[in-house]
Amino acid sequence: MVALPMLEAMSPAVARAATESAPMRMLFMNTPNGAHMPDWTPAEKGANYSLPKTLKALEPYREYVSVISGLTLDGARAHGDGGGDHARSGASFLTGSHPRKTDGTDIQNSVSVDQVAAQNNGHLTRFASLELGLQGSAQAGNCDSGYSCSYSSNMSWRNSTSPLAKEVNPAAVFDRIFGSENVADAAQAKASRNSQRKSVLDFVLEDANRIHKDVSAADRRKMDEYLYAIRDVEKRLTHSDKLKVGEDGVPNFPRPAGIPREFSDHCKLMMDMTAIALQTDSTRIATFMLLNEGSNRPYPEIGVSEGHHDVSHHGKSEDKQAKVQKINQFHVEHLAYLVGLLAGVQEQGKSMLENTMFVYGSGISDGDRHNHDDLPILLIGKAGGRIKRGSHFGFDKDTPLCNLYVWMLSQVGVKVASFGDSNGSLKIS
Amino acid sequence: MLFLISILNYSTKRRAPLTLLMVFVLTFVFSLSSSLGTDWPVRESEFSSKFGPLLTTACMDCHVGAEASGGLALDHFKTATSITKERGTFEKVLKRLEIGDMPPDDAEPLDPKDREALIAWMDSLLHDVDCGKEPNPGAVTIRRLTKYEYRNTLRDILGVDYAKAEEFPGDDVGYGFDNIGDVLNLPPLLMEKYINAAEEISSTAIKLPEPGPSISNNYPLERFKLERGGRVTATEILMYSNTSIEFEENAPWSGVFHLELVASGTKVRNIGPEIAVAVDDKVIARKIVNAPEGKDETFDIPLRMKAGKHTIKIGFVNDESSKDENGKGEDRNLNIFVIRLYGSKSQPPLDPTTVPESHRRIVIATPSAYVSNEEALQKVISPLIVYLYRRPVPAAETKRIIDLAAKAIDEGESYEGGIQLAIQAMLLSPNFLFKIEEPRRADANDFPFVNDFELATRISYFLWSSSPDKELFTLAWSKKLRDPQVLAQQIKRMLNDPRSATFIENFAGQWLTLRKLDNFEPNANLFPTWNSDVRELARQETLMFVSDVFRGNQSVLELLDADYTYLNDRLAKFYGVPGVRGNDFQKVSLASQPRRGILTHASILAVTSNPTRTSPVKRGRFVLDNILNQPPPPPPPGVPELEKAELTGSLRQQIEQHRANPACAGCHKLMDPLGLALENYDAVGLWRTKDRGEPIDATGVLPSGENVRHAGDLIKVLRTEHAEEFTRCLVEKLMIYSLGRGLEYYDKCAVDQIMAMAEKSDYRFYTLLYGIIQSDPFQRKGYRE
Repeated sequence: MVALPMLEAMSPAVARAATESAPMRMLFMNTPNGAHMPDWTPAEKGANYSLPKTLKALEPYREYVSVISGLTLDGARAHGDGGGDHARSGASFLTGSHPRKTDGTDIQNSVSVDQVAAQNNGHLTRFASLELGLQGSAQAGNCDSGYSCSYSSNMSWRNSTSPLAKEVNPAAVFDRIFGSENVADAAQAKASRNSQRKSVLDFVLEDANRIHKDVSAADRRKMDEYLYAIRDVEKRLTHSDKLKVGEDGVPNFPRPAGIPREFSDHCKLMMDMTAIALQTDSTRIATFMLLNEGSNRPYPEIGVSEGHHDVSHHGKSEDKQAKVQKINQFHVEHLAYLVGLLAGVQEQGKSMLENTMFVYGSGISDGDRHNHDDLPILLIGKAGGRIKRGSHFGFDKDTPLCNLYVWMLSQVGVKVASFGDSNGSLKIS
Repeated sequence: MLFLISILNYSTKRRAPLTLLMVFVLTFVFSLSSSLGTDWPVRESEFSSKFGPLLTTACMDCHVGAEASGGLALDHFKTATSITKERGTFEKVLKRLEIGDMPPDDAEPLDPKDREALIAWMDSLLHDVDCGKEPNPGAVTIRRLTKYEYRNTLRDILGVDYAKAEEFPGDDVGYGFDNIGDVLNLPPLLMEKYINAAEEISSTAIKLPEPGPSISNNYPLERFKLERGGRVTATEILMYSNTSIEFEENAPWSGVFHLELVASGTKVRNIGPEIAVAVDDKVIARKIVNAPEGKDETFDIPLRMKAGKHTIKIGFVNDESSKDENGKGEDRNLNIFVIRLYGSKSQPPLDPTTVPESHRRIVIATPSAYVSNEEALQKVISPLIVYLYRRPVPAAETKRIIDLAAKAIDEGESYEGGIQLAIQAMLLSPNFLFKIEEPRRADANDFPFVNDFELATRISYFLWSSSPDKELFTLAWSKKLRDPQVLAQQIKRMLNDPRSATFIENFAGQWLTLRKLDNFEPNANLFPTWNSDVRELARQETLMFVSDVFRGNQSVLELLDADYTYLNDRLAKFYGVPGVRGNDFQKVSLASQPRRGILTHASILAVTSNPTRTSPVKRGRFVLDNILNQPPPPPPPGVPELEKAELTGSLRQQIEQHRANPACAGCHKLMDPLGLALENYDAVGLWRTKDRGEPIDATGVLPSGENVRHAGDLIKVLRTEHAEEFTRCLVEKLMIYSLGRGLEYYDKCAVDQIMAMAEKSDYRFYTLLYGIIQSDPFQRKGYRE
């Protein structure tokens, strides 16, 4: 039995609804420089905890919100490499590995949890995963103590050497999901354009294969990246069509004009795009770097005119800690915006959050101490009912954050013996 | 003192901290460096008699065997040679010895004298290179074009300025620059943008003929009849045995039409259904549906037809079933969902007088009754591919491109459309996107020159961030680029070409971290005169000033203390400099102003400040990193502030309290006085004598021992006492930028040679460039250690 092909390709969410259960979504969002923990960690454990000051904005979605305390990101610790906690915790947040200290030569991290999921399940959607953010890569200078800026600007890693750059322009995300050409033109030229594109891509693949044969190991890595990128893009160009705004089951959202000036507008627009990508089942896996790790952005809009990184080194100053808390809360208010969007999407009569696992947090706990234990971590969503009601889970000191990832992977059918520095699977359901 | 060490001991990055017993180290290092190269028997005997035992006492209580502390075992190093086999490990050991936190407090203390001796010995062992022999010139990982290079290259070759390249995902920074081969990734996201760019750029460069008349007939499926072996509905034609459908079409003109089929199918032994298409009973295409079962696949089949009636037949030709009575097994079927015929009448090539400049430059031949498509394409592609691939291109390689375009034209694409396609293929080829160099043979035991085209490419991307032009290519062809006179002429020519503006922007923008100005948002209440206009003007000032020194072949020391700068009226007003009129930047004397050189530019003073106040630590760090090339070691792990009370008092007092902590003092003694000397400039670089009512105290003692009262003294000391470190810093940054890799210990000899040339020419900029371009790391291929 064959489903209507065009429809299935164009709006899988619609086609699927009749037959299959709603898919599980996996999201990861970071917040830089740690958090002011006293206003983050709930006083009570268990399902009846109440949200502390920093997390208050999540109150409407309280039943979906779990706070997971006690987790540790050992890979971000120095292990003899000295300073660079920001670069390390950015790079290791989703990989759990200890990135090699280098400004460029022999960059080494390891594959991130979202990419493990994408490599297993990514073929089910047009985009195996989406990597989003609000801040491009650093432009100059040192990012952090002798670590290349790749580490602090990328949290999704396809393998140990290839970070996946993030898209920071909401309009570009829109254009990747939705076709912009007018429909008549498209029908006329699409087929022959696709076949021409394919001939061009076949041509350059052969070029790359020729070069690949006789180069050094470092060069070969670059050619491997090239080959992977071409094949990945080719799948999308030739195997499935972009969605058309306004077609059945696709939300009618206007194309963003570009990158809004205000952080808040930019963030919300990117979150709109994230929600649309999930809602249309263009992808089921997304990472969203709120800001690059170590960000020193000031927040005059909420009365913090110092840079975030500067105040995070509060030296116990009450004033600075209050400012850190303000920034944390500001970020969580934006998080709540996205959670609200997801909560509003109904699938088979239920909120999308029922089938979501959304990790929000930081690889640093206290920004002043740069400690990587007792991290601020939220898990939002009920993971297909595995979590009955959002709770405050407390784990023993030094429980690896990666144990959470092992648990999450098993929820999407990816059985791994271990991931990163995990020593088991978190018991949260 | 500190600065003196680095003159003698190249490895400033591994420089020992202040606490060293200077005299001892100096004599020690000096005696080693003076004995050209490495005397291994001496090293080994030093190891076995002194330093081996010292390492054992200091480290081997913990760093032994499988359970070694921190996973770092040191007990398998039995000789000096064995240490150089694991440089990385011992770089760590050296760093910890220098920082002073190893051995830890609770271990047997290491005698300070022994510590210094050990540091000096290891430093020399790890970093001294024998310049007498041919040192390894290193290897550069193939570099992808940065977004700036991509844009410039296509502007220069095709005449298309693709501004959207700015939106390519960022090229991550390593070693302070965004053009480092190892760090330049190519994620799928970027490939998608490259594909869009190639399509947009080729269609901007080349104009297509106005489309002629066209047809597009979508055939309703239910009108087809199957004699046997299948079923027809409004949405699908299912063929479950070998069968076919046919229809008649009246071609309105002679030419190429396209049959679009959307199909899917089931497979037997993993082989999908085969479709045969015939026109007037002649089979002209066979296609196999390869898409996974349940997924559809689109086929686009060109049909060449004369004007008039034709019968088109679509058949399923490889039916097969291995099903048993229970329906178990495999059955190959074909489903067709869409049948469409379309095409447009081909148009004659465009009249060259009606096309854009880029089109005229590229399309230098068109097919005619006497010139075949292939011949015309050959004329167009041959010169283009050489520029795009930056090397001579073998005929067979060019032919592949021509074939690609010719095939498309044959299938109904216009001639210009074929050229667009060829351009797309070239723009997406790794030969264009990467600066590919012939690999050094793995078994080579020498260090061969990069070839002349590779050299031209290295030079042009260094000085223009773009591809070589005709003149450079010509010199490469005639193998003249290594002629010293020719090279010197070319450097001069290239720097005086407008294209070198991107060198100033990219190099100085990153070296002096001016690009970070984009993210600098000072508090508007505290600094009301700063705004985004001033920010751009301040950046412009520094770029114009650096450009003046570089392109004017002045001494690079002018950067430190020139008594002039470039201002326009608005920026002069911001600074409070009188007498500057007009919007154009002009050279302005600073004789009566408290400013000299780049360290007093608003751009640099701002980019090293916090949003609400100056940061003497950041400014000091900037001077160490980018002026003196002595980046301080990172802060010690485990942050001791935790245990301490909050810092109080004036900024200077807070900094001093911070420094009272011995764990911090080592580095902050280096950074703070350099930054405090600049305290008369506020967070946006304006002159001040008071901060929050208190008079500014900019005095201090520099790490090298000089007393300074204010910025003027600091700048004078830098210029007179540290000219060598500054120039070496600039040379190293230029080398990183030009090579696209970090510098390694084996690059020492090349830098030394360049420095020797620089000193003889009073540090004139062209000499620096010349020295870098003729150095072995730039000219030759080595390997990666």
